[in-house]
Amino acid sequence: MSALVAENLRVTRGKSTLLRQISLIFDATESVAIIGPNGAGKSTLLKALAGTEAPTEGQVRLGRRNLANLTAAERAQTIGFLPQHFEPHWDLGVAELLEIGAGRARNLPVDALDRTTAAFELGGLERRRWSTLSGGERARVLLAMVLVVDPPVLLADEPAASLDIRHRLDVIRALAARGGQRLSVVVVHDLDLAFSFFERVVLLAGGELIADQPAARLVADPRLDEVFGVRFERLRTGEGWHLRACR
Amino acid sequence: MKVWLGLGAVLVLALVVAACAGHDWASPADLVRAIAGDQALRSRLLFEWRLPRVVAAAFVGALLGLGGTIYQGVFRNPLAEPYLLGSAGGAALGATVALLVPLALPQAWLLPVLAFAGAWGATVLVIGISRVAGAVDAAGLLLAGVAVAAILGALRSFMMLALSDETVSLQVVLSWVLGGVQTPTWNGIGWILLITAGCIGLSLTLARRLDVLGLGETMATAFGLEVRRFVMLAVLAGSVIVAAAVAYGGLVAFVGLASPHVARWLVGPLHRPLLPASALVGAIVVVLADAIARSALPPAEIPLGLVTAVAGGPFFILLLARRLRT
Repeated sequence: MSALVAENLRVTRGKSTLLRQISLIFDATESVAIIGPNGAGKSTLLKALAGTEAPTEGQVRLGRRNLANLTAAERAQTIGFLPQHFEPHWDLGVAELLEIGAGRARNLPVDALDRTTAAFELGGLERRRWSTLSGGERARVLLAMVLVVDPPVLLADEPAASLDIRHRLDVIRALAARGGQRLSVVVVHDLDLAFSFFERVVLLAGGELIADQPAARLVADPRLDEVFGVRFERLRTGEGWHLRACR
Repeated sequence: MKVWLGLGAVLVLALVVAACAGHDWASPADLVRAIAGDQALRSRLLFEWRLPRVVAAAFVGALLGLGGTIYQGVFRNPLAEPYLLGSAGGAALGATVALLVPLALPQAWLLPVLAFAGAWGATVLVIGISRVAGAVDAAGLLLAGVAVAAILGALRSFMMLALSDETVSLQVVLSWVLGGVQTPTWNGIGWILLITAGCIGLSLTLARRLDVLGLGETMATAFGLEVRRFVMLAVLAGSVIVAAAVAYGGLVAFVGLASPHVARWLVGPLHRPLLPASALVGAIVVVLADAIARSALPPAEIPLGLVTAVAGGPFFILLLARRLRT
């Protein structure tokens, strides 16, 4: 069953067109990576899918309903959104942040907070303040805040970009693994991670949809080299793929 | 729990000290006698004049604490203060009209009403301007607020020059602008109590959404908050609260800025505990500052705003220094 559908999305800002003619269908359970060079429209697409920015033309459907007709509260419960940067304005504690995240669900199971705390290994961090957390801990707290209400759809915008390699691997793996039970759509900068851990990869460039294929197929596609303006050496590794760029 | 009991105890203590203070110092025993209904002149003066003023000071402080917390929450800026969006300038203009323009209405009634209308009107004007200009974010609101405040200040200065023929009125206007708690009747106290209780209730309905807004606009939107609409709503609610404080206490500096910070040190940044804690801190500060204003230079009275500014200025500098260092 399709959980999230984009129909002919077009987004313009002022005179520039950021997205044109984007149509995508996402299943209720799959992991999708969105890749593309800078300025491809990845973040814009994610925001349109999340309903935080209305498309100029076209529509996004969540199940059978038009996303624009959902109330903000319904949207917040159904779609979890991980932004690229997150910095709370007040130095909140971890438990308080989780509480705020949980506040957007109307009927949360009583053990949801405890289960989330356990799932993201946040035990012992509850009393710490945001300013005292390391980058990896912050990423886990942010994920926990967004996922505490267990939204059917998760949209993430390069949430691991600023982390060191180990934590980036952990976060991207967790996001891709979630595609086993839910829909997980992630903008990924690191092509190795995109092709190694996600089932399906969407390639954008200049606001247009270039390719939308299973990862195993798209990795061999010559359009990849064309869009990124390099020649890739594709190396098969134990866990997936390593793409080395040459000029 | 300990923090709340502590704050409550400090407030009671501050009320007692303030009720004793004045150019004629009273003992707690005098207070008890006055409250018990003693008819001696001294007791009646205490009961009719000093006690209502002390209680009113507490309410003014509480309102300023609430207003400051809401403004800091909305603008997500620890340097935001309740007079930010021109409400102080509007209130001062309203009060100037009440004090200087001969209108056929009793001044005791006219002053708070016009001050309230000025504070509220200025904020609505600022929001309107920022909407027309298309700048609906916090920075746009701030710029519009600064511009409106400058215009209102100029208007007030002009009125003070043009309308005062005797120096006395000018002094009255100045002393109002510098802050000073009105002495209400006990009936009036009932009203202030109702208004303050209403304002606390109003601000608590905003608490959860202020927390969400504190995550930043992107996260707040993703968490289901309609950011622009909520910012307008919260600013309007904050300005009602500030206008009420201004109507009863004039322009009292720094309390609305400092109380939320002290309260945040005590109860943390979540708004549900922060709002009432900030109200309590504000009440304590204004009660004590008003006591100093009444008793430091007898028989004259120092304007309350000067007392809070002299104490608050160093606090503000400390705050800035801490912020710059981190």
